[in-house]
Amino acid sequence: MRAPLAYGLIAFAALVTAPRGAGFVSGAPAVLGAPLAHPQDDSAIAARAAADDARIDNREWASILQRQLRAYSSGPIEPNREFYFTRAFYSSGRNDLYRGFPSWSVDWPKADIQFMMGLKRLVTHLDAYDGDNPVSLADPDLLQYPFLYAVEVGYMSLTEPEVTGLRNYLDHGGFLVVDDFWGSREWANFEHEIRRVLPGHPIVEIPLDHPIFHSFYDIKEIVQVPNVGQGRFGGPTWEQDGITPTVRGIFDDDGRLMVAISWNSDLGDAWEWAEDPFYPLRFSTYAYQLGVNLIVYAMSH
Amino acid sequence: MPWFDSLFELLFKYPPRTFASGSLRFAPSWVFLAVAAVLLIAVLPGLWRYWGQRAGRARLLVAARALLLLVIVFCLARPMLILRAVVPQESFVGVLIDDSRSMTIADAPDVARGAAALRLLDPEGGDLLGALGQRFKVRLFSFADDLQRVSSPAELRFQGTASHLGEAIERGADELAAVPLAGLVVLTDGADNSGEPLDDSILELKSRGVPIYPIGVGRERFDRDVQVSRVEAPRRVLRGSSLMVEVTLEQTGYAGEVVDLEVMDDGRIVSSEKVRFPATGEAVVARVSFKADQAGARQFQFRTAPQRGEAVAENNKRGALIQVDDRVEKVLYFEGEPRYEVKYMRRAVHGDKNLQLVVLLRTADNRFSRFELDEPGELEGGFPTKREELFRYDGLILGSIEASFFTHDQLRLIAEFVAERGGGFMMIGGRRAFSEGGWSGTPLAEVLPVILSPAWSGGSGEGDPFFAEVSVEPTTWGKSHPALQLASTEDASLQVWERLPKLSTFNPLTQIKPGATSLLVGKGEGLPGEQVVLAYQRYGRGKAMAWSVHDSWHWQMHADIPVEDQTHETLWRQLLRWLVSYVPEPVEVTVGTDIVAPGQRVEVRAEVHDQGFLPVNNANVTATVETPGGQTIAVPLDWTVEKDGEYVGGFAADEEGLYGVRVEAGTRSQSLGESSAWVESAALENELYDAQLRRSSLERLASETGGRYYDADNARGVVDDLAFSREGSTLLERRDLWDMPIVFVVLAALLALEWGLRRRWGMA
Repeated sequence: MRAPLAYGLIAFAALVTAPRGAGFVSGAPAVLGAPLAHPQDDSAIAARAAADDARIDNREWASILQRQLRAYSSGPIEPNREFYFTRAFYSSGRNDLYRGFPSWSVDWPKADIQFMMGLKRLVTHLDAYDGDNPVSLADPDLLQYPFLYAVEVGYMSLTEPEVTGLRNYLDHGGFLVVDDFWGSREWANFEHEIRRVLPGHPIVEIPLDHPIFHSFYDIKEIVQVPNVGQGRFGGPTWEQDGITPTVRGIFDDDGRLMVAISWNSDLGDAWEWAEDPFYPLRFSTYAYQLGVNLIVYAMSH
Repeated sequence: MPWFDSLFELLFKYPPRTFASGSLRFAPSWVFLAVAAVLLIAVLPGLWRYWGQRAGRARLLVAARALLLLVIVFCLARPMLILRAVVPQESFVGVLIDDSRSMTIADAPDVARGAAALRLLDPEGGDLLGALGQRFKVRLFSFADDLQRVSSPAELRFQGTASHLGEAIERGADELAAVPLAGLVVLTDGADNSGEPLDDSILELKSRGVPIYPIGVGRERFDRDVQVSRVEAPRRVLRGSSLMVEVTLEQTGYAGEVVDLEVMDDGRIVSSEKVRFPATGEAVVARVSFKADQAGARQFQFRTAPQRGEAVAENNKRGALIQVDDRVEKVLYFEGEPRYEVKYMRRAVHGDKNLQLVVLLRTADNRFSRFELDEPGELEGGFPTKREELFRYDGLILGSIEASFFTHDQLRLIAEFVAERGGGFMMIGGRRAFSEGGWSGTPLAEVLPVILSPAWSGGSGEGDPFFAEVSVEPTTWGKSHPALQLASTEDASLQVWERLPKLSTFNPLTQIKPGATSLLVGKGEGLPGEQVVLAYQRYGRGKAMAWSVHDSWHWQMHADIPVEDQTHETLWRQLLRWLVSYVPEPVEVTVGTDIVAPGQRVEVRAEVHDQGFLPVNNANVTATVETPGGQTIAVPLDWTVEKDGEYVGGFAADEEGLYGVRVEAGTRSQSLGESSAWVESAALENELYDAQLRRSSLERLASETGGRYYDADNARGVVDDLAFSREGSTLLERRDLWDMPIVFVVLAALLALEWGLRRRWGMA
């Protein structure tokens, strides 16, 4: 399909041009030679942004990154689908080059595409887009995709526009699934970041009788899904000090789940490698079941 | 034309109506007849010869002379008018004086109508009573909603709260039925607010031969007045619903002025709308929207402040009794695929305590998720197959679900849900909705308000769905529709509609059924025509709606929509509330009218059905009436026999205040349900509305019964007219006509003509 290296390169380039805080002023992005129209050429964007300086940065930045991403990912080229598996494209800290590419893009896009194949086979009547769809948290168009998936949030280091964008998204009724981060150090980072987004909302354990465990499949226990390496070769299922798999959540004022947090577990790897004969069925089954449940829940609650 | 009558009377001795009521006779003496015969025999041949020999001028002179002679002959023949005149003091006349509040309006022309009427009767004023009393026995009555015998006009107070004109006159005729009655004189402004047509009374009086002589007081048109003429409000709404009420304001003399139309609920202003008056005399329909927050029977009042210099300030308000129900309406939403529309529609109605959106969501084949259930077993078998299962819902929404999913019986059941149960049905757009879902040719194609065209097949690849973006805007009907008000005023609401982001559709729908109404339309590229976005029609007892876009959730989840924006929530709550408005319960009670006069009988009518909405004729149906004083009365209702499941009974609303009527129905084995209604017993405040003088109806009343209409100025004529009314105790009276002034005028004119001609021609 596409060379994983290319993803790494584009993502890296994106990060280099990413703003840090409101003081960021974007220059012409020198990215991989792709001819990119300056966002200010877009009169609609310019008109809206003129009202708000902070949003100019936000939108320009989002727009640039989105174009960069489009050049390498399939993008939502079919506008008439009901469901797009949307991956949160966010900024990471200095230590963001996790395994050679930025943390948001771990398992992308194979996990996304692979999971959509499974999802469409299981939830037969769902009209889902086959491709991947990474969207920046700061992109106002994020609101067109009420389901959002973010990984490796232990390395997340959100810019102000991203914080505002994600808060706006969740307040409007968007649904965020957080996955693939391990141990207390990564938790602490995620907690710090999500507190910036949703100050005052407690993070609570989601009990097994909650609808996300029953919206399509009945899930009776929370399984620790290991990364592909450990899962395939039968090593320990945990990473760092993340021994116990946990599903936590943040609820809105009306008691609706806004953020589902799968901590000490890696659903993404299980989706990605489900077709691998060496990857244990137990893990991929659970990962698909929980993933399907989360999507069905997100589309009905 | 009074001047014509006066001139006629001057020339002919009597007014035209006297000639009309009498007949012309001649009474010549024998001597005259003999002389006339001899003269004719002797003179005529000579005259004839003379005529033949002459020509031109001479002939004219002969003709003038002959005419002169003819006039003299006419006078000598003693013409007379034979009249049937009443015998003095043997006939009776009833004088009925309007004692209602409208007589206090000061437009006659500068005093109150009542005072003007009294002045006409008074010896120091028109002295009508004195004049009538010389010839008749006069009986005096006052009337408002009832007729009263009075001994003197001084007893009138003009405080009656209703005018039953026709009834009062009939009763007056009844009272004097046993005596020779010459006619009834009615002093009134012509107002009749009994609700009964005046024609019935006219026919009755005509058949009994009682001539009516109305004397109108007041003016036919006020110089300056504002009136709240009509309020179009629903009688029943769900608590928390937005209401759009149409208020008709009439005015004269305030063209171009702007007034505030206020809505009051229990003395509290709940809404206000600015209204600009059109040209004087033209009515304006104002739409005012507000929320019905408090449950129970609410007495809303719609009013404008009294205007400077207006004739009647009391008619600037009008009330409406609206029953605000605090019950939960259940809507079943069956969706054939996981969709964000489900999520956001659920969010929209979340927190609405009066709406329960039960969702049945098909996720995979034979796999369903169910939300907002009353009991765990609800919809366990998927979409209902039995009447009782489906008919427990008030509304039904079908989403993106293909017609072939249902059995034919289920399709028929859905059609019956609308037609027989009276439920609200809505199909919302999607890949499997409308034609694209194979709904053409099914029983529901008939129910839907849109014409289903053949499924679209213009895609680039096989199976590609139709897809187009649409900008949604309300139609003329939609702009004022209560379910589509997105802000407190109509203009503000229109601005919201203009700001809403584009949506999209999979279902090209461009035509509505002949009886349907289109409320929202969409425009956009790639559409075969103007897209029908929202349309509805009545179908049997219920209504059916078509909502052809598939992603209204973008009106919640969009960069241009602020977080605090409530448009999506408001729209769906209002749409669903409207969908289930007036959806009947198994037991439904109605009272004839929402306001009755104290003492009037209230008819209670109940329609009783079982859970499958089949009428039940052998039920025990009782209405428990709670009086304003807090007492309860049990009123049994009986089957009408004429209609299945219909029961009727009634009670008299003697006290003033609000009566609550709760109807319970049951068979021996089970309760079928209950239903409540309210009726207000209050003095009807109709008197000061449309209070102008109704001259035309009074004129008709007079002419149809053989009487005559008078203004205050020529009211004295009634005495003479009554004298020759041919009714009552009469005798024949001869009146000579030979001495009419016209005879002298004609004679003089003919002589002058002849003399003048002769002088001119030198023949004198």
